[in-house]
Amino acid sequence: MPGNRTRKSWQPRITAATAATAATAMLVSCSLLAGCSGSDGASGAGGKVVLRYTWWGNPDRAARTQEAVDLFEKKHPEIEVQTSFSGYDAYKQKLATQAAGGDAPDAMQLDYRMIDQYASGGVLLDFAEQPSALDTGEFDAGLLATGKVDGKQYAIPQARGTETVVYDTAQWKKSGVALPREGWTWSEWADAVRELAKRTGRPGATDPGQSEDAFEVWLRGRGKSLYTEDRRLGFTVDDLTRWWTFADKLRREGAVSPAEQTTQLDGTVENTPLGRGKAISDSNWDAPSSGFVALVPGGVTLAPMPSGEDTPGQYFKPSMFMGVAADTGHPKESVRLVDFMLNDPDAARILGATRGIPVNESLRAAIAPGLKDFDKTVFDYQASLEGDLDAPPQAPPSGDSALQTTFARDYDQVSYERMSPREAAEDYVTEAKAELRS
Amino acid sequence: MTTTTTEQTATASAARTAPAKRPGGRRREGAAWVFLSPWVLGAAVLTLLPMAVSLYLSFTDYDLFNPPRWVGLRNYTQMFTEDPRYWRSVGATLTYVVIAVPLQLALALVVALGLKSMRRGRGFYRSAFYAPSLLGASMSIALVWRALFNDGGTVDNLFGTGGWVNRPGWALLAVALLTVWQFGAPMVIFLAGLQQIPTELYEAASVDGASRWRQFLSITVPMLSPVIFFNLVLQTIQAFQVFTPAFAVSGGKGGPADSTLFYTLYLYDRGFVASHMGYASAMAWVLLIVIGAVTAVLFRTSRTWVFYASEGDR
Repeated sequence: MPGNRTRKSWQPRITAATAATAATAMLVSCSLLAGCSGSDGASGAGGKVVLRYTWWGNPDRAARTQEAVDLFEKKHPEIEVQTSFSGYDAYKQKLATQAAGGDAPDAMQLDYRMIDQYASGGVLLDFAEQPSALDTGEFDAGLLATGKVDGKQYAIPQARGTETVVYDTAQWKKSGVALPREGWTWSEWADAVRELAKRTGRPGATDPGQSEDAFEVWLRGRGKSLYTEDRRLGFTVDDLTRWWTFADKLRREGAVSPAEQTTQLDGTVENTPLGRGKAISDSNWDAPSSGFVALVPGGVTLAPMPSGEDTPGQYFKPSMFMGVAADTGHPKESVRLVDFMLNDPDAARILGATRGIPVNESLRAAIAPGLKDFDKTVFDYQASLEGDLDAPPQAPPSGDSALQTTFARDYDQVSYERMSPREAAEDYVTEAKAELRS
Repeated sequence: MTTTTTEQTATASAARTAPAKRPGGRRREGAAWVFLSPWVLGAAVLTLLPMAVSLYLSFTDYDLFNPPRWVGLRNYTQMFTEDPRYWRSVGATLTYVVIAVPLQLALALVVALGLKSMRRGRGFYRSAFYAPSLLGASMSIALVWRALFNDGGTVDNLFGTGGWVNRPGWALLAVALLTVWQFGAPMVIFLAGLQQIPTELYEAASVDGASRWRQFLSITVPMLSPVIFFNLVLQTIQAFQVFTPAFAVSGGKGGPADSTLFYTLYLYDRGFVASHMGYASAMAWVLLIVIGAVTAVLFRTSRTWVFYASEGDR
């Protein structure tokens, strides 16, 4: 029976292959398990306390952060800090997985939209438990409150940013349209983008309809907010319909970018109509707008967001936070690290504006003279708004990060003329209610 | 040889009737389990357990942070009755399967036929056509595709098409083309199948005066039908699970206007962006059942059009 022989000859090979696969699988699961038990790695080399500190950012931020951490280790010889970083999207997913597995790093950088979810999931330490290790005396009370959930301080704001109308300086000036001024209203903004489109042949701005951030500024300008204090929706279908009708009309007139351009927005400045040379202005956060400098030949200028009839709408938003894991083995040392990163003058000088303009008020003044280039532009822009803006809202509720995507998607249906503004608004509000209920 | 076989059969039947009497039987069984253990462990820990957990999660509300909350069939009812975006994802996926799979198989067959009749350089062309299948699943090619079909991209500049990936009516086609382009794997299988068809059949047919087209319809297609069927089943299953191209081409959003919101993309969105793991699990189970059903239907219809050479023996 020849078949018999054949079978014998391939059997061992299959087994070997399976064994290899299984071994690989076991290695993978082992490393996962090792990762999982990492949080108990309380004290490591030479009896030192070992802390894990993770954050998102770029190589420049990495170099400066490492320098600051080295200084911290020098001042606290009993503590060793292991840092790791990645891009925002990867960071967000990795942190979520770690937190879900009970393995959150001792100290971590957090986004506004993460706080509520992590705090309510029991991942974050209440800073009130370690009052002696952290000094918050130099923080603006309104900004500090953004790190609170249910009255407990789960996160400390590290830097602040604010929305801006960023425009192609040369093109706007050449068009002869009056330059944006502080306190301009949304209808003045609309007139300006219409006029810009007429005179330059290019849309005056990115279609703001897809941006939840722009909508929030507009909404606050009308005395409302995205969310109420008890984490429900702070606006109605009518409000959203009005906003989308406003944007949709401008788009139909060609005053703002067409759907084909708007749909390519992905959070990078390279894919904005302004960055692609297809519009005169964009609305964006101030610090990331530095990317336009390399893309827009005539340079860019930062102008305030349009305001409502009697209130500005715009606000200083904490651009990132620091938090400590609730189940860290070393709460005191972890909080001390947070305190160092946010309050130490030497650390501040090293870090500069790499995470935005510091929230600590005396440090902000201390680093100001040393700022260069776009850091200085952002600093001056923020200084020009100082005292004019309302307090920021509390941290958005857990469902918000999904809703931000939904917002852009629903507006896609409007800008491709597949839904009316009202239909899309109803869609959004239905989804938002479901999202916030769960 | 014969004696060995008889001996084996005898031992086997003895083992079957009276296992206890056989010396070392238990030990051998134990050895088998030892050797099997890596696989069994792998299957249990990495496949069966996650599947069981996923089935359980599909009846819960689970956001990764708080413990799963039992909600019964709510995920399923919500999916079918309250979620317009779910149905848009179903529509996009079905449209994609119906466009991409036949186009890809047709192209694979045509190229395989061309290669078969080629005398020289077959090896080179076979590799050249196969290469995209190796590269195609990668993120980088999908990004190149996006750049090609973007507005101001190469295709737009050459043919003035406008940006396909930015137009709801066309984006899906751009993604389908990316799949069609990766026709290498089915092509290689077609080529192997074509080479199995006895040349006498064609010689006899041409003696009888049958045209090339007639020969294709009456000899090639029936003789190749098992291979066609195999490719059809495989590519259909793959098409239902398409993810990477749509993810890259639409920047993870399934846009424009949800036109490339494929099922798996929406599943990913629900699970990892919106943190509704329960809902995503429910979606995964529905997909599993649908793929199973579609495959079953394909197998059932295959009885009417797939011919096996050994059929005469039955």
